[in-house]
Amino acid sequence: MSQDLDRRARELLPELAVERHDAAVFDLRRRRDEAVASVPDWEPLRERAAAIKRHTLDHLDVLLERFEERARAAGAVVHWARDAEAHNLLVARLLEERDIARVVKSKSMLTEECGLNAFLAKRGFDVVDTDLGERIVQLGDEPPSHIIVPAIHRTRGEIGALFHRKMGSPAGESDPERLTRVARRDLRGRFLAAEAGITGVNFAVAETGSLVVVTNEGNADLGMCLPPIHIACLGIEKLIPTMEDLPVFLRLLARSATGQPITAYTSVVTGPRPGAELHVVLVDNGRSDLLASENHRSALSCIRCGACLNTCPVYRRAGGHAYGTAVPGPIGAVLAPGLRDDAGARALPHASSLCGSCTAVCPVGIDLHDQLLAWRREKPSTGPLERLALETAAVVMGHPRLYRLLGRVAGRLWPALARRWPGNPASHWLDSRELPEHPGLSFSQRWIRERDRG
Amino acid sequence: MSDRQLVLKRVRASTRHRVDHPGPHQPPELPGGWGTFAAALEGVGGRVHGPFDSGQLAGRLSAWLEQRADGGRVVAVEAAASRLGPGPWELAEVEADPHSFEGTAVAVLLGGVAVAENGAVAVEGRLAPQRALPFLCRHLVLLVSTDAVVPDLHTAFHRLPNDALAHHHLTWISGPSKTADIEQTLVYGAHGPLTLDVFGMEP
Repeated sequence: MSQDLDRRARELLPELAVERHDAAVFDLRRRRDEAVASVPDWEPLRERAAAIKRHTLDHLDVLLERFEERARAAGAVVHWARDAEAHNLLVARLLEERDIARVVKSKSMLTEECGLNAFLAKRGFDVVDTDLGERIVQLGDEPPSHIIVPAIHRTRGEIGALFHRKMGSPAGESDPERLTRVARRDLRGRFLAAEAGITGVNFAVAETGSLVVVTNEGNADLGMCLPPIHIACLGIEKLIPTMEDLPVFLRLLARSATGQPITAYTSVVTGPRPGAELHVVLVDNGRSDLLASENHRSALSCIRCGACLNTCPVYRRAGGHAYGTAVPGPIGAVLAPGLRDDAGARALPHASSLCGSCTAVCPVGIDLHDQLLAWRREKPSTGPLERLALETAAVVMGHPRLYRLLGRVAGRLWPALARRWPGNPASHWLDSRELPEHPGLSFSQRWIRERDRG
Repeated sequence: MSDRQLVLKRVRASTRHRVDHPGPHQPPELPGGWGTFAAALEGVGGRVHGPFDSGQLAGRLSAWLEQRADGGRVVAVEAAASRLGPGPWELAEVEADPHSFEGTAVAVLLGGVAVAENGAVAVEGRLAPQRALPFLCRHLVLLVSTDAVVPDLHTAFHRLPNDALAHHHLTWISGPSKTADIEQTLVYGAHGPLTLDVFGMEP
């Protein structure tokens, strides 16, 4: 069951914040709908993107080798990491070898997944997140709650108070434009002083060895163009075959994410800039396991637009922190059980109504709700009590007389079960629901009575 | 086994090389032209001037700079300056330390292909080798030729010159730097330029 997610949601997103969060997130969904309606070839575009990704995943070995070869030819150094630890050690070594202390970072869900920030901080590096939303959650010492809008769970008042404490903005200042200026000034100095820039990667083009990085703020570009070394970290699923494939994904990505026709900056970087170093780290961290699963490999097609989060009734009311994963929402619940095997990950596919809205908006055609259902079968997360209940139910359903007898017993117990009292096994279920009044008669009893009367 | 060998071995075990590439996407005929591009650019927070013929362009830009630059430093890349001729701008050095562009009030660059569906303009390494300049300046000006406008992004990638990737970076710029990370309130000038102005050039 999804009791854990439910409990965390209650702790992390207070009652009052739920309505605001729900509205803010759904507004992104509304903007997405408007943008999609203006693209006449949207559905063919989605199908094309899904087909390109199917081809890519089926040729991932040759595409990875091609990308490596072309990126090297352009002057990049390509590294491989089997898991999060190998990735973190590799990045730390690159920094240590150059005696680097000050690092600017732009948004990367991969480095969130690997816990890179905490790893580097422990070793004494000064790592500054530069995406405004990421900076807000970094200063607040909490993880992002949304993959596109990391601080969507925070109000302007909370952010104003945080900036006052951490950056000395005037007390009580909560105007988004003035707060943005405060962060801009502070971060501009950090960009200029940075000795290394770490970025994520949206797409890696095998044909040319190019990296594609998109932002609205321009923070990834400043991180790439000022320091003498750029370290780009990406999961092995970020590959696309050719430059001609890129516009297919670019036309889908921003429209699905925020309803913009394209992000403000879309940078295609091929090799290091003159006089600088470019290091590319290709990370597996469970992706090859997911690739081996016929049911779930399509989840590797995800381009991290966040559309499935914005439309999901569970995400909208629970908030991203409740998931306990780097990527929350439906795609997070599909990826988690494939990337790691623990009770928390197993429970996530149950936190869904299977309404299918996620599948309907996914720009690369991932069958998200079918995959959630498949995980429930493949990795059951029922406890011993639930299993006993289900097994008992199967026996009772198979024996009509026993069923009728227990039905009458349940009718007597109903008033007690429908109320919350300490020790009632149904208490948790009743937290957010009310049982209807008991009708007094079972369906069969009523049927017989009506028939005899007729 | 090295991480490279291990990852490739695991990936190879799950690839069969049977699914063909679907081929290029053929977009339907979308509206193109300068007017559509200008509307898209204004929709993402940019401003559009002109188009002007080559006799007017430098004068119009100079007049606009007088207000906008407010006495600050105006830097133009060689490719833009050669279109404009002499004016109130200094030439950006190709070999300059990128940090030296901090404090630039206005940067003037020559744009390449422009896209009507999303207001994006290609800024190529070949035409703007100073990678940091369009991000460190407070205000960005792009000169865009009216015949560089194409309807959609697929056509735009096809229209790029063959050596577009040979100069390290190619950036599609669509509007000024922006963020909506504080309560979804749109703010221009998150990290990069606060404004983007496109001056149209008649061919």
